Amino acid sequence: MNENLHPRAEKLIAQEHVEGISQSERNWLAAHLRECPACAQVARQTNNALRSLRGMPIPLPRGLAERTQFRVQLRAQELREREPKRRLLWIMCAMSWALGIATAPYVWQAIEWIGQRTGAPLLVLEFGFGLWWAIPALFAAAIVVLENVRQANERDWSGR
Amino acid sequence: MADDNKALAQGLKRRDPDLLDQLIEQYQFRLFRYLLYLTSSRERAEDFFQETWIRVLERGHQYDGKYKFEAWLFRIARNLVIDWQRQKKMQSLDALTDPEEGAPMEFAAENQPSPLHQVLTAEAKTGVHASLDRIPTVYREVLVLRFQEELGLEEIAGVLAAPLSTVKSRLYRGLEALRGAMQGGAA
Repeated sequence: MNENLHPRAEKLIAQEHVEGISQSERNWLAAHLRECPACAQVARQTNNALRSLRGMPIPLPRGLAERTQFRVQLRAQELREREPKRRLLWIMCAMSWALGIATAPYVWQAIEWIGQRTGAPLLVLEFGFGLWWAIPALFAAAIVVLENVRQANERDWSGR
Repeated sequence: MADDNKALAQGLKRRDPDLLDQLIEQYQFRLFRYLLYLTSSRERAEDFFQETWIRVLERGHQYDGKYKFEAWLFRIARNLVIDWQRQKKMQSLDALTDPEEGAPMEFAAENQPSPLHQVLTAEAKTGVHASLDRIPTVYREVLVLRFQEELGLEEIAGVLAAPLSTVKSRLYRGLEALRGAMQGGAA
């Protein structure tokens, strides 16, 4: 028998389980296994190993699902309680922005007036105007970041 | 199947408590088994099991239903274990100087057999159990995902966040290692 046939057969035995093989390859392999006891042994060992792996029993800890369901329900309740606060924050932020847009011309006039009084350069006035606009978003972002940090600290489950 | 996944995604987005209870029941065995092979520790697997479901609750809106739910679930579990491993590695230097701290838990390196024996009882430590103990974690993981969980190659690639070629090569090597280990065990 050609020695090159064995590596091909072994490759196909594994490939059949991993990716699948074509019908012609399957036919070739079946014919080869009928003639080659060594490769047939490899095929049997592979099948046995996989059968054992599939049928391996793992005992589940008692009450694991119930304990997990309880923890998940508690966390869900916590999240539900936090939800309205978060919504209120975004509503306030949106309202603040809307007011900001509506009053922008007046605010700019006020800043211009301050500029005339103090002689501050235009760049400083523009920066002040931009900051006034960004304050609601910065405030909301700071709250969200603080909230996330608090949550991460609460769930520092890795330390035992 | 696609419709089922979409419905599941909608339920997770709503944080439907009944759905979560049902999913925990349904996937308890498979998730615990996967975590057990990943961590080699029963206690860790239990902790990660609970934490995985908390993440499912919190990040349910990220599941879009395009892939099997279990692939997404296993990915969350895997990421938690990896995060924990990283954190432990960073803390290990502190542990050297802190007499109160016990020896840090060691996970198997890429090419070393894992301490799966922690999990298995002396009676059970025969046959396929003992063989798996001799296989590196990276191969054991793909074998479990492919042949126990029956995930597709692309789904496994999704769980591992690795290219398809890596998944295939790990599977081939893992299969060879398993066969070799079982042969060695039988000898």
